[in-house]
Amino acid sequence: MRNFLTLLVKEEKAVFSSPIAYAIVAVYLLLMGFTFTLMLFLNRTAELVRVFFQAAVLFLLIVPVVTMRLLAEERRSGTLELLLTSPVREIEIVLAKFVASLTLVLLMLVLTASDAIVLGIYADPDWGPIYSGFLGLLLLAAALAAIGLLVSGLTSNQIVAAVVAMGVGILLWMIDSIGYLLPDPFDTIVTSLSLVAHFTPFATGALFLSDLGFFLTVVLACLLLTVRTLARR
Amino acid sequence: MGTIALTTAVIAAEQLTKWYGPRLAVDRVSLAVGPGEIVGLLGPKGSGKTTILRILAGYLRPSAGTARISGLDVVDDALASRRRVGYVPEDAPLYGGMTVREFLAFMGRLKGLATAGLPAAVDAAVERLGLGPVRGIQIGRLSRGYRQRVAIAQALLGSPDLLILDEPTNGLDPRQIIEMRELIRSLGGERTILVTSHILGEIERVADRVAILLDGRLLGVHALRAPSEGQRLRLHVRGHEAGVRACLARVPGVTAVGVEGTSATSVATYVVDAEQAVAETLAAALIAGGFGLLAMEPAPVDLETLFLRLTGDREAATR
Repeated sequence: MRNFLTLLVKEEKAVFSSPIAYAIVAVYLLLMGFTFTLMLFLNRTAELVRVFFQAAVLFLLIVPVVTMRLLAEERRSGTLELLLTSPVREIEIVLAKFVASLTLVLLMLVLTASDAIVLGIYADPDWGPIYSGFLGLLLLAAALAAIGLLVSGLTSNQIVAAVVAMGVGILLWMIDSIGYLLPDPFDTIVTSLSLVAHFTPFATGALFLSDLGFFLTVVLACLLLTVRTLARR
Repeated sequence: MGTIALTTAVIAAEQLTKWYGPRLAVDRVSLAVGPGEIVGLLGPKGSGKTTILRILAGYLRPSAGTARISGLDVVDDALASRRRVGYVPEDAPLYGGMTVREFLAFMGRLKGLATAGLPAAVDAAVERLGLGPVRGIQIGRLSRGYRQRVAIAQALLGSPDLLILDEPTNGLDPRQIIEMRELIRSLGGERTILVTSHILGEIERVADRVAILLDGRLLGVHALRAPSEGQRLRLHVRGHEAGVRACLARVPGVTAVGVEGTSATSVATYVVDAEQAVAETLAAALIAGGFGLLAMEPAPVDLETLFLRLTGDREAATR
């Protein structure tokens, strides 16, 4: 636990001392504010479904940028050798990096909550879908962060890590579309892998244990695979 | 290498083997190193030096064979054995964004130093390596020499039994190289040091023993600072070469006399091997023979010759 906290503090410092984090948060807030304002004045409805989908799509692009340096940079600069020859477990390294990247996402979500507060002040929104939407975004971001971390562990090039993680994320987001072309049972299998299929219920206020389980499974599987890639040496 | 009992050895490697895919990087290397020894691993680039260090430091797993650090297996007792090792990888990778103090505190915590004792341990390492003037500076801004020292300071945290230095003089300027050599020698005795280099002179100057590697195989382990039995002396003598040789060879205890070089002024350099201390009798014999003894100094084992002989033998054997 002590190692984890030591590593976490180091990772948090690395995330928040980098200009990348601030650029990402600023661009994210700008785009989200644009969408929220547009939605508010065009639709005049007190809900955030569109905002959630906009955030989800932005996460597909942003989270890989947050995670790209996590392990790739350590591998490139050789500091991974320093970490892995210290008396720490691989899982502590992986968890610290995962939690640190998720902190930035959490910060973005907290700032996005200002949209919900505005709705609460000027209207009487249905809070259920708003809570579930934020939960869905957090789970989606966690899954994307875990995928990004895994990819970052496989290369020493940050750009390669970002691009591949983006590709994997976007493919998983829209993979259900190809289900229409596939025979049974492949269509169901493919659909059940889709990020959007599991995210939509959250965004619209429907909570299913299976969706929660899906995101947690992706996170767990990717983190375990990352530990394996670090341990295989 | 049977001189060190495996139970007391700081490093006990047995039949260590490492494959990278189809390539054999380390081939059945066995090595035992005792407490306080400085052992040099010498070999050309790609001879498996770094791979051996990485296995001992716990970064790589051996494909076959075992390695123990102070009796702890590097695979089965990985965390415990890593606590006994201070490792400085080649090119001293460090977190450039941290200050020297931050970095040392971070590494100290990872090595399990108690929070209460951490500042004192960091200060001691800073003091030991002369990092005082740069303790608050970001590592990324430091010169190569300072970075190397920060890496060694990090390795000393937690008082490890074994210090592993991979090419510690790489990329340093001549003055820094001399400082680094002095540092390594001063750290020996306190703890066991395993140091690599592809430069003969470096190993010759810092190590007590040298292990020579070629193509992943250990060709031999040789003592550089031989214990009292046997002696090798280098003499600069003025006089007729054949006469000097004859005079030297007649001294009791002398086993071999070689000539290294002659200058125009009839001064030649002779290398004398003896099975006992012969310096005084050699000097007396030369003076009695009417030759001019200009200088006499102990000559360490000529590593270059040894290296060429061992690697040459091997090349001849594989041919």
